[in-house]
Amino acid sequence: MSAHIGEDAALYALGALEPHEAAAVEAHVEHCSACARLLAQAEDDVTAMVAAGPLVEPPAALAERILATPDASTPATGRQRSRVPRAAWFAALAAAIVVAVLPSAYVYRENLAMHHTMLADADAMARIATSPHRSTAFAGRDAHVMYAPDGSWYVVVIRGAKTPMHVVWPHDGERTMLGTAVPHGDVALLYLPKSHRMDQLALMSDGRVVAQAQLVF
Amino acid sequence: MSALPAWQNPGLARPVRRTPSLMQDSIDDEALAAAFSSKERWAFEAAYARFATLLYSTAYHVLGNAEDAQDCVHDALSRVWRSPDAYDRSRGAIRSFLTVCVRNEAITRLRSKQRRSRLHERVAAEPVEHDEIAVVDVVEHQRLRAAMARLPDEQRRPLELAYFEQKTHVEIAAQLEVPLGTIKSRIALGLRKLAMALGGTR
Repeated sequence: MSAHIGEDAALYALGALEPHEAAAVEAHVEHCSACARLLAQAEDDVTAMVAAGPLVEPPAALAERILATPDASTPATGRQRSRVPRAAWFAALAAAIVVAVLPSAYVYRENLAMHHTMLADADAMARIATSPHRSTAFAGRDAHVMYAPDGSWYVVVIRGAKTPMHVVWPHDGERTMLGTAVPHGDVALLYLPKSHRMDQLALMSDGRVVAQAQLVF
Repeated sequence: MSALPAWQNPGLARPVRRTPSLMQDSIDDEALAAAFSSKERWAFEAAYARFATLLYSTAYHVLGNAEDAQDCVHDALSRVWRSPDAYDRSRGAIRSFLTVCVRNEAITRLRSKQRRSRLHERVAAEPVEHDEIAVVDVVEHQRLRAAMARLPDEQRRPLELAYFEQKTHVEIAAQLEVPLGTIKSRIALGLRKLAMALGGTR
């Protein structure tokens, strides 16, 4: 194993190493968890400096460029294709909200920002009425999940939630943390675009499972 | 007219507020990091939405103009996203990981630009000219300066040269006429003390 990185962690995080030294640090932390933690701390420290300095609002055009970044497995000509599932996600979420969530004026208001995004996408709006979805209640809480039959999106709605609740996917003896539903008034909502089917979801609060839902595909 | 570039001079800046986002607020950093390392597309987009101001500021402060900063953030994020093993959770907080990726990309670009300048017989140490920009939080800026001012000179000076002037430890050691090992120790110690003063928890 190469030498531990020691003080080079701070220099790496600051960008103060020569290129060959920086490469050595990157190679070392791949197999040394202690140095990886040291480097993570130095990166936290430099980030604290940046965050405590003058912050500059990025131009909107940058967001468009970033969102157009293809995935690693996407071929160079795949940009147009990659936008199709994206539109489908918005359409599917729109359908879920119009059919099941929209009757709640409160939830509608809380989702206004997301709704504006959907309204801006005419193609997505055209799909609202036709996008199929399913709904399953959670056992243990007044909550349910609406989801696309192909598993491409999920919307978890929890009523009467007083504190944030974690939504997890139990599978293969593990629990994968999906996100946190934060209450706004009496309703907590979490939208989960996904690329795979999850046949079980659970809600966790204070470190324990408080409700579970079985999904059928 | 102040001698400071615009980004270092709060007096030239107008405050701007961040726009809150429902999706940003509803996913914690841990969940975002897990999804990002699993290459879930929504996490890439959510990470940019959450850290855009921080990442852009990081690049801007090094490169000093909007066009270069945009290219830098775009290229750094694209490379991380498209690389299969670029980030896993053992590498620490995704926020800090991405910030340092962008900063190192920006410094690489800056040094490349300076090398090209030397080739064109311009002044190598010519300072970067900064656009006039909109600074989000002037109070925070003053907090960094105040915290740095409280460091001992022997730690503050090399840290300033590394952070604000993007010099390597070799350049800093030569400029301050201090041995390399000593400079490394002073920078590392200064950085840790500064982060603690700024509210670090570790």
